[in-house]
Amino acid sequence: MSPLDDLKTAIKSRLGELDCVIGWEQGYDQLHATPLFIRSEADLDRLVIGPLAVHNLATYLPGLRGKKVGIIVKGCDSRSVIQLLNENLITRDDLVVFGLCCSGVVSHRKIRAALPVDPGFVEAVDLSTDTLSITASGQTTILHMADIAADKCQICQYPNALIADVLVGSPQESKVLTTLACQEEFEAKSEAEKFAFWQETMSRCIRCYACRNACPMCVCRDFCISTSRDPLWLGQENTPGENMMFQLIHVSHLTGRCTECGECERACPVDIPLLLLRRYMNKQVQDVFEHRAGTALEQTPPLLTFKVEEEGIKERGW
Amino acid sequence: MRIGVFICHCGSNIAGTVDCPKVAAKALTYPDVVFSTDTMYACSEPGQDGIIAAVKEQQLDGVVVASCTPRMHEQTFRRAVERAGLNRYMFEMANIREHVSWIGKIMEDNTIKAQELVRMAVEKLRRNRPLIPKRFETVKRVLVIGGGVAGIQAALDCADGGQEVVLIEREQSIGGKMAKLDKTFPTVDCSSCVLGPKMVDIAQHPKITLYACAEVESVGGYVGNFHITIRRKATYVDWNVCNGCGLCLEKCPSHKHPDPFNENLCTAPSINIPFPQAIPKKAAINPQSCLKLTQGKCGICATVCPLKCIDYEQKDELVDVDVGAVIVATGYDLFDWHKYPQYGQGRYPDIITSMQYERLLSASGPTGGQIKRPSDGKEPKNIVFIQCVGSRDRSVDRPYCSGFCCMYTAKQAILTKDHLPDSQSFVFYMDIRSPGKLYDEFTRRAMEEYGAHYVRGRVSMIYPQDDKLLVRGADTLAGTQVEVQADLVVLAVGAEAAAGAAQLGEKLRVCPDQYGFFVESHPKLKPVETNTAGVYLAGACQGPKDIPASVSQGSAAAAKVLGLLSKKELESDPAVARVNQPRCVGCGKCIQTCPFGAIKEVADRFGNPKAEVIDTVCQGCGICTVTCPQGAIQLEHFTDNQILAEVQALCPPKIFANYE
Repeated sequence: MSPLDDLKTAIKSRLGELDCVIGWEQGYDQLHATPLFIRSEADLDRLVIGPLAVHNLATYLPGLRGKKVGIIVKGCDSRSVIQLLNENLITRDDLVVFGLCCSGVVSHRKIRAALPVDPGFVEAVDLSTDTLSITASGQTTILHMADIAADKCQICQYPNALIADVLVGSPQESKVLTTLACQEEFEAKSEAEKFAFWQETMSRCIRCYACRNACPMCVCRDFCISTSRDPLWLGQENTPGENMMFQLIHVSHLTGRCTECGECERACPVDIPLLLLRRYMNKQVQDVFEHRAGTALEQTPPLLTFKVEEEGIKERGW
Repeated sequence: MRIGVFICHCGSNIAGTVDCPKVAAKALTYPDVVFSTDTMYACSEPGQDGIIAAVKEQQLDGVVVASCTPRMHEQTFRRAVERAGLNRYMFEMANIREHVSWIGKIMEDNTIKAQELVRMAVEKLRRNRPLIPKRFETVKRVLVIGGGVAGIQAALDCADGGQEVVLIEREQSIGGKMAKLDKTFPTVDCSSCVLGPKMVDIAQHPKITLYACAEVESVGGYVGNFHITIRRKATYVDWNVCNGCGLCLEKCPSHKHPDPFNENLCTAPSINIPFPQAIPKKAAINPQSCLKLTQGKCGICATVCPLKCIDYEQKDELVDVDVGAVIVATGYDLFDWHKYPQYGQGRYPDIITSMQYERLLSASGPTGGQIKRPSDGKEPKNIVFIQCVGSRDRSVDRPYCSGFCCMYTAKQAILTKDHLPDSQSFVFYMDIRSPGKLYDEFTRRAMEEYGAHYVRGRVSMIYPQDDKLLVRGADTLAGTQVEVQADLVVLAVGAEAAAGAAQLGEKLRVCPDQYGFFVESHPKLKPVETNTAGVYLAGACQGPKDIPASVSQGSAAAAKVLGLLSKKELESDPAVARVNQPRCVGCGKCIQTCPFGAIKEVADRFGNPKAEVIDTVCQGCGICTVTCPQGAIQLEHFTDNQILAEVQALCPPKIFANYE
């Protein structure tokens, strides 16, 4: 049986006790998946998994608190589930996790860039292990998976779900590479170059807050500080400064919590490389606190606890 | 809002380098400021009267005073505006002395900076609102932690003042370090003779409950209403029955364990009473060495005990007490001299610490008061004392002076001559520090009447030669190298923070300084208070101290507690965190980070989890406010908007005029 069949069998056996199971189905065309809320066995037929099922479904979980929910997670998504559990934002007893062993997902941004013209509606998609062929407007293009894999998948250290009541598929190896060229290139820039870079990039931001809404760790719901008058941290002018301030608030609220699922960057309609900031912050957290969010149950993010003295911060001996 | 601004000259302290009239004139241009003036001394009686008159005449709603640090006079001015009929939180202070006039010399720049600080204070005040403190009752009971001389004094003074006292001591007997000493400087009276009666008073005082072999397990609550859980460690002896007859000590077959009371110079039985004057005089079993507890065989003490009070099954017991105030008197520990390579790091048995030497001098010590060196039991002839071992030395992270070593070394040199008239003492010292009543006379007596040979310099190495130790050092006054053939070397080890002080400090929310000693609220004006209301310090836990200073501080802390508990009700500071519950998503992050346990989870009427601040526990530190991602928890009087207003006053945002 294929992993998909295994998964369907597993879901079928648990569906009775759950309000719904969150998975993916085909979206408006064969290239795009969309989240699927499985409530009956009939819904189960529409379930898809694989490199096109890109969404981190854990984003839905805090909003479904109080309901019995099943969720299908890739390795990266499972970190978000663990982090939400560690922060008491969801309840383990109300949750059934169907874990996948993931070999990576695509980046739609990279696909768009690789195609000669924007495909609009895709007529047919053919997936093999290494290639993806896309037929649109009667024209077929074959893309190599290595070229269109999401950035996070190229350095993935957790391909298999870290938390799972049911694990399907055969476990995958973590990647050898741990840093991305684009990250190194950005961090090598001078302060002035970085400033200019963000001035330019943030002028594209339309403050749609898609990055916030897609983020599984943004749990303030209707009370986000970005739209509050009391306290008033942020003006509503759409200027690079205010837009950057919003991102800096977002990143600092994610300190030690961000699981690098990349939903913020994926959701951004104007292609702002938001993960540059998050990866940098996560590296600092890793260096100072030896903490990587969502990799183990019962771990507390370093900024969500009080310690008189931190081992990793030298406060004495000046 | 109608704001009045008062710029203080502080004589020439401020006016010397700040153009005060110019600052006052500029302040009139700030929003809501309707009155502004400069004044010679704002804190003086005419100064305060001027503020009060202005509030009344100008119908002011708030007052800004630009003068010194709020630590100095914030309370003064708050009382003044209160006398004028305003809420005391409708006042802001701009520090233009410590932050401006005292640190900058250029009048023009200082004036600009003073204007900016006043502008910030005005912007903050515009967002202030009246705050009203809550009142609550206090528990009339005191917890004293540590039964050394400071704790004993504090406990007795509190009890004599009419308060109930719970005294807890980690060791088996109270008495602390002082109980181990032979004599005390500068009077050379017997330590246990002066301490003993006080220890007996503790045992007999009807208002004092003593728990020995006990430690603080947890601390909850707040000033006036602390909830303390005490862990009474298992002694394996029923102390309600034991009468301290000592029969079990004599019969115990396992007595190979080093005796900590005698600084490990001898061994002790596994069931023991540490010293004859111990309070409480009860036996306790050492579970590490007792044959019955480690190997399951023996049981002789249970057989011989005439009162049958041995209980091998005894477990730790937790006791809860509610107290209104806490006095911390946990004392100090001695520096571990093994860190120094030049003193042999323990290879030579005849290099001992000053505390070990005290035990050799003491009539109740392992040698019955005869000075015998540990290696061969011979009486030493040449004795070398080395001062500043673990004091005033940056290389071992102990740059501070322990304060009492010069004095006890002089005392030990005097006692040595008394015990062994043929002996010769040598003291290697850096400086003699003896500021105290009769102290300098005492050290001079050691040199002049008792013939102690003082050498100003450090010892570079000690190595064995035949059955002696060759001590090599510098004499910096003579500019020569010296060598002394010593029979015994005594290291005047310094004081360091007591083991476990950091953990206790965390429970009590008392900060340790960089060396682990507890930090007082103000080094000069609040020497026994801590920054946690209701917790006071006494003795060497606050910094190295000799006996007279520890006793004084014990009494001082007791006076503070008696003053606190004499009030029927206390007022809580209203500048505490407050939750805007509609904004709160109930994630509980603030509960996790609060170091004071001041936030609890409650449910709103729909059953949603929400955070709630316990006003009286909150210390207003603001950690919760930076933790809350949606800004639902705000520190009253220091809200995000108040602070952001100050920032914006300093760095006005760029206005984008072109919206196309």
